[in-house]
Amino acid sequence: MVQIGKSVEAAATSEVLVRARQRAALVPDLLVEARRVANTVIAGWHGRRKRGIGENFWQFRPYVEGEARSRIDWRRSARDDHVYVRDREWEAAHTVWLWADPSPSMLFQSTSADVSKESRSLVLVLALAELLSRSGERIAWPGLTDPFTARNGAERLAAHLAHALSQPSKPDLSQIRRMSDLVIASDFLDPAESTINWLAPLADRGVRVHLIEIADPAEETFPYAGRTEFRDPETGGKMTTGRAESIADDYRREYLARRHELMAWCRRIAWSYTVNHTNQLASDALVRVHMMMTAEFGPGLGGAP
Amino acid sequence: MSFLSLAFAQPLILYGLLALPVIWWLLRLTPPRPQIEVFPPLQILARVLKPEETPHKSPWWLTLLRLTLAALVILALADPVFRPAKNVGSGGSVLALIIDNSWPAAREWDKRQATAERLINDAGDSGIPVILALTTDAENVEIGPFAAEAARDRLRAAMPRPVPADRHMTYAKIVDAIDGLSDTTLALLTDGLAGPDDEGAFAQLLASNIGRIVWAAPRSLDTIGLTSADNQPKAMIVKAIRPTSDTPPRQFTVHALDDKGRRIGEATGLFGAGVSETTAELKVPFELRNDFDSIVVEGENLASAVHLLDENSRRRRVGLISASEADQSQPLLSPLYYIRNALLPFADLIEAETSDLAKAVPELIDDKPAIVVMADVGTLPQEARTKLIDWIESGGTLIRFAGPRLAAAENDDDLLPVRLRLGERALGGTLSWTEPQPVAEFPAQGPFFDLAAPRDVVVRRQVLAEPTPDIVERTWASLADGTPLVTGAKRGEGTLVLFHVPPEATWSNLPITGSFVEMLHRVVQFSRNQGRLEQSADGKPATLAPYRMISADGALIPPPPDARPLVLGSEIPPVTITNPPGFYGGGEGVVAHNLLDASARFEPIARPGTNVPITEIRYAFDEQRDLKGWLIALAILLLALDSLAVFWLGGVFAWRSAAKAGRASATVAAMVALGAGLYVIPALAQNTDAKPGDAEAIEAISLTRIAYVLTGDSAVDSISRAGISGLNRFLIEKTALEPGEPAGVDIAVDELSFYPLIYWPVDPAAPMPSAAAIARVDAYMQQGGTVLFDTRDQYANGFGALGASPATLRLREILASLNVPPLEPVPPDHVLTKSFYILRQFPGRYADAPLWVEASLDAENSENRPVRTGDGVSSIMITAADFAGAWAIDQSGRPMLPTVPGNPLQRVYAYRSGVNIMMYMLTGNYKSDQVHLPILLERLGQ
Repeated sequence: MVQIGKSVEAAATSEVLVRARQRAALVPDLLVEARRVANTVIAGWHGRRKRGIGENFWQFRPYVEGEARSRIDWRRSARDDHVYVRDREWEAAHTVWLWADPSPSMLFQSTSADVSKESRSLVLVLALAELLSRSGERIAWPGLTDPFTARNGAERLAAHLAHALSQPSKPDLSQIRRMSDLVIASDFLDPAESTINWLAPLADRGVRVHLIEIADPAEETFPYAGRTEFRDPETGGKMTTGRAESIADDYRREYLARRHELMAWCRRIAWSYTVNHTNQLASDALVRVHMMMTAEFGPGLGGAP
Repeated sequence: MSFLSLAFAQPLILYGLLALPVIWWLLRLTPPRPQIEVFPPLQILARVLKPEETPHKSPWWLTLLRLTLAALVILALADPVFRPAKNVGSGGSVLALIIDNSWPAAREWDKRQATAERLINDAGDSGIPVILALTTDAENVEIGPFAAEAARDRLRAAMPRPVPADRHMTYAKIVDAIDGLSDTTLALLTDGLAGPDDEGAFAQLLASNIGRIVWAAPRSLDTIGLTSADNQPKAMIVKAIRPTSDTPPRQFTVHALDDKGRRIGEATGLFGAGVSETTAELKVPFELRNDFDSIVVEGENLASAVHLLDENSRRRRVGLISASEADQSQPLLSPLYYIRNALLPFADLIEAETSDLAKAVPELIDDKPAIVVMADVGTLPQEARTKLIDWIESGGTLIRFAGPRLAAAENDDDLLPVRLRLGERALGGTLSWTEPQPVAEFPAQGPFFDLAAPRDVVVRRQVLAEPTPDIVERTWASLADGTPLVTGAKRGEGTLVLFHVPPEATWSNLPITGSFVEMLHRVVQFSRNQGRLEQSADGKPATLAPYRMISADGALIPPPPDARPLVLGSEIPPVTITNPPGFYGGGEGVVAHNLLDASARFEPIARPGTNVPITEIRYAFDEQRDLKGWLIALAILLLALDSLAVFWLGGVFAWRSAAKAGRASATVAAMVALGAGLYVIPALAQNTDAKPGDAEAIEAISLTRIAYVLTGDSAVDSISRAGISGLNRFLIEKTALEPGEPAGVDIAVDELSFYPLIYWPVDPAAPMPSAAAIARVDAYMQQGGTVLFDTRDQYANGFGALGASPATLRLREILASLNVPPLEPVPPDHVLTKSFYILRQFPGRYADAPLWVEASLDAENSENRPVRTGDGVSSIMITAADFAGAWAIDQSGRPMLPTVPGNPLQRVYAYRSGVNIMMYMLTGNYKSDQVHLPILLERLGQ
């Protein structure tokens, strides 16, 4: 029988960069263009005089039912009987940290997928880098670069990646300051608790994190049948099952439970969680993440597409 | 090595079973190889996967399956045999096999055959020759020694015979055959019945060099034989015997069959305990009894259980004696006339050649008749009388009729049942007060008791019996006043009957009534023939050809090839293979030759006492079964199961995705559809009367198509095709006719009748069409088709008869074998000139070429008619103008060939010619009728 999934070679950074630029050039450009038209009146490369994500105070406004309570400014609210929310100014030079999971499990690609997870994650991250750089945002790769602003941000990021000999499986996130954005593209196959434990300090620090789960369709649908030995590319662990199709339902339940747990957690702390299957278009996730980054904070924005 | 009635030919291989634990260990250690898959979410899977569901070993049932498989193969290799047979036939230097294939062996003959075959097989296995003797065979049949294979063939050809075993002769042959051979194994497969001289037979056998004896006799002997059937007045008594060894009480049923095998009588008999002889009574009316052909013991199916009845026990011979047979010219007055006619249907009549009673009576009695009828014989010569009395004493029946001579004769106690008064008594008449007497009811004690008394019979004169004390019981029929009319009495075994009237209509009208026939018939039925005829008419011993024989299993069969005619002598010939039991004779009369005579007995055969070792075996089928094939088959089955299980474990049968399932079901559906199609298509083909070429025919006639003859020259053919295409296009543009594609026809093969017009470009280079092809064209023209010959040589012809071009010569050649009518160039008033366009000439590629058509010579052509009359369509048109060349267009619709001369209008006229020709083809002389249109309209208007 033909193997359903295999581990592929790590994608060449330059090739990924090309694809990322193609992605970035096609779909999200339109969005950026639209925004620019809308923002012409406000004008200025950095002068986005409107509320949005940023580090500086913009205004207090009354709390509206349904907004995340964590955003209530209790100090201002204590001064009178109303409850206020502190809006921040859309900071032009926003810092967005980008990170794609370099672990071996990301190298997986099944027959029904177009690309490997690693390739997809790099494409997404570099496309975001391209977009953000074009908008003048500061981008950075934890453990690899400090935040920088450059028109050719994606290119430089790719260059850094190409020269990085080895990356730790979990980057050092301690240098990420509050009000920054962090984009993590990974498969999040570790148990949800460990992921939550890993990212929880960021929530405490007020970093807004966008999780992009890159999922291979084979991982989700579990199309295996018959006597099958499964091998973990990360740990090298083996597991043999007599009739793989018999445990498919249980597996799918377990797999989706992990995703739903992460999703629920993200929704609770107003992070976004995007799922991108490698047999779908990268643009879908790109558009969605982009939208999440430019959108207001608020409930109901997180969650699966 | 044998246990559980199993034996192994190669028991050492069974030690291979010791390897089973090793195989088990190996099987446990080598699970089926899994499909290896890289799978990143292994941690999630690990939570789902229970530890016991990760077999590192084969499932136990798979191991068991494979172990069974291995064990089966080992067992099969050891050549197991179920119920092995004892080997008794292989010893000594030769096996002398003596088989009784006499009639008792017909029961379970196949078992006996199987037993013998086993013995032969044993002998064959040990390579010793076989002497095979059948005890019913003739003396000259070869008995061997044979090789085992030849002996087997002979055994298979052997059949049970319906004759007793001739052991004495057969054993003598065996003794001769084994003379000089040492250490013979003698196998005696007996039928269980003792023969006439068994002791002597065995003695001569045992005196020779016998190493050991294998003895087989039937386990039980329960044969029933029918030895005789005696037709008594009240019933037919059947005597049955059974073997003396068969002692328990036994009931049996016999039934009687007629000559068509229908069962017409049935009786049961009973053997008491220890009794081996009994009788059964078939109580059936006389008439039916005479139809008996054979008597059979039900369910016996043996030759002994069939007793055949012949004419001897049925049809009686009747001798007729009369003293007054003088006047042959007045037959109705002959005293024997009525007797002869009454007896003829159911008796053989014998009449003495002389009227001399001294010679006639012994002569008749030598024929051993059942009955002698004496009509009005008063006295007999002493010698004849003595002979007649002896004959009566031994069972003959004498019927006497009264008459003037008897009335005048002395009383004769030995030949008359009653004493008679001298003279006769006349009833009624001028001198008597008495009236003629009718017949009274038949007395109950007489043989006529169940006959209806004839009311219309009157007796005017009779002889009177003396009144004696026993007169009443001797009276079989009497008159109304009590005087006897028929009297009868027993004399020894025989019977005397006296009719007190003569056998003619003088004294009474009894002889001319039906009752007379019935009474005679009844008396005849009581009588019995006194022996069988032994000599034919010319004095030689009579021989009777075999007619229908009894087979060993009791069925009536046609005579076998070795049956010989039965020679009737002073004693009955014995039942032998040349005279098997059955009917001998022919359709007009047969003699029964029965297997058992009245004195037959069934004695069980005795095993001869001897000091030679005797092995007793039983008749049985070979129950030895070689199990190797079954075990191998079972092992293969298990192997298939194992493969299926492996596939199942490997997940081949798990069609998870709907797409796959859909594909699979689609595949299955397609296969089913294909199968159904394969099944249905022949059925459809059978149901319709479709013929090959139907599609072409339908295609040819669904559109009007113009045909052209394929000349074989591709240039000519392509121009023809293009030309007709061009004409088609022109027709479609200008007329209502929309012809189909041009049809190229091979005149030798294709059906021509589909096309109204065939364009034939005459090509001198092409081979001359065969005579058959020309005949086809001729037939086509006779049936209404038209051929347009185009020689295309308008400017190639020279002058005069010698100037004909090759194409013209070829055309002449073709036309020579066609029925061509007289031709003429198209006259100016021909329909062709007006059928669509008005044309004066018919140019093609070449101008000025005339178009020749069938001459309408007798057409009247009045001055004022624009078109000449005429019926039909010219079946032939000949031109030299090369129409196709003018019509030919290429793909883009441009003309292919220039016209000669290069006048553009000429092409138009060529097309118009084509249109006119086509319209003429399709509408015939319609246009010539159209000329009447003004007149018709005018008339209609009135």
